Amino acid sequence: MSIPSIATHKPVVSCKCAAYLDWLQMLSGACLILFMWAHLCLVSSVIIGPGVMNAIAEFFEVTKMVHFGGPVIFMVFLLHFVLAARKIPFASKQQGVMLANAKRMHHTDTWLWVVQAVTAMIILIMGAAHMWVVLSDLPITAQKSAARIQNGLWMLFYLVLLPMVELHVGIGFYRIMIKWGIIDSKGRFGFKKKENMLTAIMIGIGVITLLRFWFLAIK
Amino acid sequence: MQIIQTDLLCIGAGLAGERVAIEAAENGFSVICLSLVPARRSHSSAAQGGMQAALGNSAMGEGDSPDVHFADTVKGSDWGADQECARIFVDTAPIAMRQMAFWGVPWNRVVPGEQTYYKGGKPFTAYEKPENEGLIHSRSFGGTAKWRTCYTSDGTGHAVLYTLDNRAAQMGVQVHDKTEAIALIHDGETCMGAIVRDLKTGELRAYLSRATLIATGGYGRIYRESTNAVICDGGGMIAALDTGVVPFGNPEAIQFHPTGIVPTDILVTEGCRGDGGTLLDVNQYRFMPDYEPEKAELASRDVVSRRMTEHMRKGLGVKSPYGDHLWLDIRHLGEKHITTKLREVQEICESFLGVDPVHQLIPVRPTQHYSMGGVRTNKDGAAYGLKGLFSAGEAACWDMHGFNRLGGNSLAETIVAGMWVGGKVVEFLAGNDTTFNTAAVREAYEKQAARINALIKGSNGNENVYAVRNAMFDTIMKGAGIFRNGTDLTESVTKLQEILQRARKVGLRSNGLGANAELGLALKIEGMVKLAQCVCYAALQRTESRGAHTREDFPERNDRDWLNRTLATWVNASDDLPTLNYEPATTVFEIPPGERGYGGGKIIPMDNPPQATPAGKKA
Amino acid sequence: MARMLKFNIFRYNPQDPTSVPHMQSFTIDETESMTLFIVLNRLREEQDPSLQFDFCCRAGICGACGMVVNGRPGLACHTKTKDLPEEVTLMPLPVFKLVGDLSVDTGTWFRGMYQRVKSWCETKKVFDPSAPEERMDNALAEKIYELDRCIECGCCVAACGTALMREDFLGATALNRVARFMLDPRDERTEQEYFDIVGTDEGIFGCMGLLACEDVCPKYLPLQDVLGRLRQRMAFAAVNNILPSFLRKEVKL
Repeated sequence: MSIPSIATHKPVVSCKCAAYLDWLQMLSGACLILFMWAHLCLVSSVIIGPGVMNAIAEFFEVTKMVHFGGPVIFMVFLLHFVLAARKIPFASKQQGVMLANAKRMHHTDTWLWVVQAVTAMIILIMGAAHMWVVLSDLPITAQKSAARIQNGLWMLFYLVLLPMVELHVGIGFYRIMIKWGIIDSKGRFGFKKKENMLTAIMIGIGVITLLRFWFLAIK
Repeated sequence: MQIIQTDLLCIGAGLAGERVAIEAAENGFSVICLSLVPARRSHSSAAQGGMQAALGNSAMGEGDSPDVHFADTVKGSDWGADQECARIFVDTAPIAMRQMAFWGVPWNRVVPGEQTYYKGGKPFTAYEKPENEGLIHSRSFGGTAKWRTCYTSDGTGHAVLYTLDNRAAQMGVQVHDKTEAIALIHDGETCMGAIVRDLKTGELRAYLSRATLIATGGYGRIYRESTNAVICDGGGMIAALDTGVVPFGNPEAIQFHPTGIVPTDILVTEGCRGDGGTLLDVNQYRFMPDYEPEKAELASRDVVSRRMTEHMRKGLGVKSPYGDHLWLDIRHLGEKHITTKLREVQEICESFLGVDPVHQLIPVRPTQHYSMGGVRTNKDGAAYGLKGLFSAGEAACWDMHGFNRLGGNSLAETIVAGMWVGGKVVEFLAGNDTTFNTAAVREAYEKQAARINALIKGSNGNENVYAVRNAMFDTIMKGAGIFRNGTDLTESVTKLQEILQRARKVGLRSNGLGANAELGLALKIEGMVKLAQCVCYAALQRTESRGAHTREDFPERNDRDWLNRTLATWVNASDDLPTLNYEPATTVFEIPPGERGYGGGKIIPMDNPPQATPAGKKA
Repeated sequence: MARMLKFNIFRYNPQDPTSVPHMQSFTIDETESMTLFIVLNRLREEQDPSLQFDFCCRAGICGACGMVVNGRPGLACHTKTKDLPEEVTLMPLPVFKLVGDLSVDTGTWFRGMYQRVKSWCETKKVFDPSAPEERMDNALAEKIYELDRCIECGCCVAACGTALMREDFLGATALNRVARFMLDPRDERTEQEYFDIVGTDEGIFGCMGLLACEDVCPKYLPLQDVLGRLRQRMAFAAVNNILPSFLRKEVKL
């Protein structure tokens, strides 16, 4: 052939970027999952009493973990979005293909991916807004949170964001365990069931927390 | 007309075709394989059981040698085999198996120590020698003195075909899949390639080649109830027969497999019986030991099939809407054995019957399975009649199987003969050049184009191709089933003559555009009916019973008059009947004709019985 | 008892200038032990001889008859009508090039795949006809065969969201093939060579773990486990040289 083969050859040094990026996507996701679970536990402490929540918040305030950790989490959040978005089709034709496939196949795991993609977009906007509001008005106290939620519109905002986040976190957790071979095929359906229950419980706790804020007397 | 040229054209990309192709490619020749389906879907992949080779690694194969294998093969063939070919086969088989291991086949291996095996439904233990650990293991198959069938679980054909096709891909063998060779290009002396229909577009092309190999497998699909894949309709044999000069060897030698499931005719492997499965009748009584006290279910296939039919004729079969059948029982082998060693069998039962063989009986009956006959070749695999034409595998009548082939010998034949014939093809390619006669090419092409045109336009008539095929199915089964007799065969021959006339008047009902399947069948229905006629006519003439060919009116094996091979040619395309000639079954007698040791039956001896010739010497 | 079944079948013959893609309905009476093999052949013989579809072994072994049955890719030959509702939709497998109606060209796709992943034992050794075979542990042989059971029907690829969106994605069948050779000691490829084939976004890192492959595979290959371990193995292969020794991992398939 007349084409000089050097021009069409792959580079001699092989690229490991795909592996690195996949590691980062998984690790950033795992980080955010842990953070979200911790976050919910901490916030839901208001159910026991605003004093408990305030004490915890103060601990993070005094140790400066909020000032340092908040922006870090925000960066991880953005990083994770960028990494994962590589897998989400941008062209509407491909989106259509994926949606048609999920519909045609009646296949839960494919549907779960669609849920992941949709919730990701919503979380990107709403999560960013939430973080901005909270981090730009430190320190965190039960009173401030309650005031915001009792505003009404913010209650609605959180009632949407909460299930979005918990679904995304739950499915993401399941996906990591499956994709990385940590759960094998025998454990898959049992794990999925437990994971669904966990998501439901998380949403339940979240809703109770929101209600607690809603009815919290503002001093 | 698009013309594609290559050194070797393999018609068929199953085990035999690809093995020859690899040999040629390794020696630097260009090769194209034509295949009706992607190469790995070839029917070779469906062979579950294994390949016989006298490696003698397993406890139950100890003391095995090519000589013992040779004796089993010749006895199995009922002395119909060409003993020179059988010798080449048994000597080459161990090397071929090791070569397949080298290329990547995951053969099951010897596990040392006490192992539990089954014979006749009863477990026994055998001690596998520690020094043989990790060598190729073997299992039991019908009609053999030793356990010598190399296997990969119960997907041997699949595993070997995948490995071979991997090797073919590595060696740059081109596979043009979804193509069908519908005629050979020849001038009456030399074969120059084939006219090929593209089954993706319907386009017609000419392939020119210095050597052409027919490796299209058997012609089981001239029977309605056949274990063969739907592509096994004898396409290669039809093309060869159409030349008028290439003979069809032993067309009447058709093997019926004892265990095709009812109703779908899918085969469950002989491995079931090899591992200890038993056959039961309507009263769930194990009847085979009554007929064959020594070998019982493990007598050769023709014997077991015949005994089953005999038993059902006594009214002891199980009645069903699809006709009588018997039961295959593998329940006693246990769940672990069935789910590991016989997994494909379990899948077939569950997917196609809704039966769980761990707890339930499997409905089976003898079903057409293998064609010992085919394109007659010499021991180099070169077809009689045309220079540059070769054949190997089930498509060929090489002829190591004679009138009955042993389980595990045919799958082994594909790669052993492929290796051997491949070598001969390489010698031929290295030493011969061909002049491509463009007039012959154009003539062959135009003839096929005109046939297609006539079928689409219906200018020969409007016979429905499926109706003609159904008539052929009914007729061949009546005459050339498991038991044959003069009356039924005569009737079948007469009927097939009428059906041939109808086949010549087929017209399409669809438009015939593109990869049209009706056109595909219409193009070969005349050839299929001719094959069916060769089977029936040759079976009518052969007034003896030998191997799988069983004449109720001539129950004895007649070595005096019939120790020979039928050679059927279709001299003029317009003839109603084939021309039959005969040649001696073998020129070398390492083992003179004698008792098989199973199957019973009387023998009419030769007038002057030959002396045994030592291995490898000419008579 | 006998049901009348309605089949909505995709029809298009690219070789016929008058043909346009459309759905055509057929009705047929159900019989005992009926499979789609029986249905389609009867439709061709009795109702429309131009109907195109592929069957070969008709015993679930060869993989020729992959098609989309009521939305899911599967083998037609072992699909029993008694497991289907009265109305059935049959479509050709996506991803692969259409030949006509329900028939697709899987051959070209797979032959391309063999070259991409070098679907053979790469070795520098030469076969010695006089030597006994190299020994292998039987358990290992069985493990290799477990992955070698793939019949290349294409169902896993046709069901895969990633493969549908990106035609350069290798798909479960190719990744499984590579895993098969990784297990095989006769293949002398290095970890780096394997990594160059599958440690990419077209390979294992493109897999999003939707598991449709695992769920539709008619041979029940352990694709979830193979893909999971392959990802781990390739991921560690990429970072083992930069990880502190206590974090390094050699992943077995």
